[in-house]
Amino acid sequence: MDTETVLSTLRDFIRSEFKIPETDSEFCDDVHLFDYGYIDSFGAIRLIAYIEKAYNIKISESDLAIHPLNTIQEISGFVIRRKKGEI
Amino acid sequence: MPKLSIPLGDVDHDLLSQLEYAMTFVSEDITSYVIDEKNKTIEAEISGESSRESVVRKISELIERYSKREFGMLEGIHFDQRRDLPPIDAWSGMLERRWVTSIGAGHVVLRGPAALLQDLIDAKVRKVFAAFFKAELELYPSTIMCSTLDRCNHFTSFPEHIDFVSHLKQDLDVLNAFSAECREKGWSPDLHHDRMGEHEFAVSPSTCYHAYEGMEGWRLEPPGRCITAILHCHRYEGANHRTLSRLRAFTMREVVWIGAPRYVIESRAQAEELLIQWAKDWELSCTFETANDMFFTQDYAIKASFQRQQQAKKELRLMIPSDNQSISVFSSNFHAMTFGKAFDIKIGERQATSGCIAWGLERWVYAIISQFGFDPQAWPTKLREEYEDHRSRVAS
Repeated sequence: MDTETVLSTLRDFIRSEFKIPETDSEFCDDVHLFDYGYIDSFGAIRLIAYIEKAYNIKISESDLAIHPLNTIQEISGFVIRRKKGEI
Repeated sequence: MPKLSIPLGDVDHDLLSQLEYAMTFVSEDITSYVIDEKNKTIEAEISGESSRESVVRKISELIERYSKREFGMLEGIHFDQRRDLPPIDAWSGMLERRWVTSIGAGHVVLRGPAALLQDLIDAKVRKVFAAFFKAELELYPSTIMCSTLDRCNHFTSFPEHIDFVSHLKQDLDVLNAFSAECREKGWSPDLHHDRMGEHEFAVSPSTCYHAYEGMEGWRLEPPGRCITAILHCHRYEGANHRTLSRLRAFTMREVVWIGAPRYVIESRAQAEELLIQWAKDWELSCTFETANDMFFTQDYAIKASFQRQQQAKKELRLMIPSDNQSISVFSSNFHAMTFGKAFDIKIGERQATSGCIAWGLERWVYAIISQFGFDPQAWPTKLREEYEDHRSRVAS
């Protein structure tokens, strides 16, 4: 599992699921998905469910408290480290 | 009266105060209730045996609501300034001095030093915050269209505290009968039965909704705009109305930002620094902490825990030494694009984001008198100086 594949998969899912147009120049891997309004609380539930299913991992309450998961970059880093058993 | 006892289940200790607050809206068949923390139960009395099943179901549903926590209930104290202060019964003292008169549940008249103190707090907000952010003054009506509240998702978050506004039907017979019965027997709520029109409006539960509806369809220049407004707001609180800490009719001053995310986020952070400096200057016994709204719907856990996880709401809580509790007097809120989307407000090509900070002015008065007493000469130095300066300005 390489970083670029995870980034690309997450990017595609978020763009498609939350209807972000290709013309949105601010949407990138480092943008804060919640502050910039791409995803709200109910969207976050859908995103977590997708990540858990797609990568066969669990994201717990304490994960959300400890790890910042606000950008595609941060989520990707979390997924890779969790799959490697580092966290 | 019949009694019932329901286990609290998995509700966290920290959420018990929110559960207790919400209990007042569960059923009008509940005549009294108390949360027994030791035995982890809710003990309630009900008006009759016939309502037992329905009340048990409703309380259980509420407990279930507060047991969930999709994103965890993140806690965070961003500023903490505790002082050892003697307990003062501010409410009784203000009543005795006629600084406050209760004129119905959750309605008060303030006068004398209490009124002056509230005026000082509002003046300080305008002087410190509105000036710093070059906020434009806006003036709003006290009522708001229900359709606007709907678009703000207010009904799906806080249906319990809306004070709807109505009027008698436009019908000569109705008007004549109402007037005649008032003349004969005096007014009573029964006279409204079947005589009221549609509820198109409600008393505004918050100041900033008018800001967004007033900007519908606007295209903003970067980075956005800042507004300040004050409004007399209403929130029905059932049996929770008490002192000045939970009024049905209260005064809310707000500073609102609408524009680019960075502008809103950075402005909010600057405002929080100004607020903490204010708390230091006035030597307030307080905490500034992560918070959540008291969403009164089934999706409470999702909304509240996400709000906490994103630090979308923070509150300044002032201690009430006589109660050994604190009350929220200020909130700092980030809405992301909720209102930009609802009212098609854009900055550049994308929907505007918004944030606001809000002061509940009567609560400030109550907390300050609870902490420092009734003699302004005995108040902390900067508070006393600003109060005296404000008093002389108002007098002249």
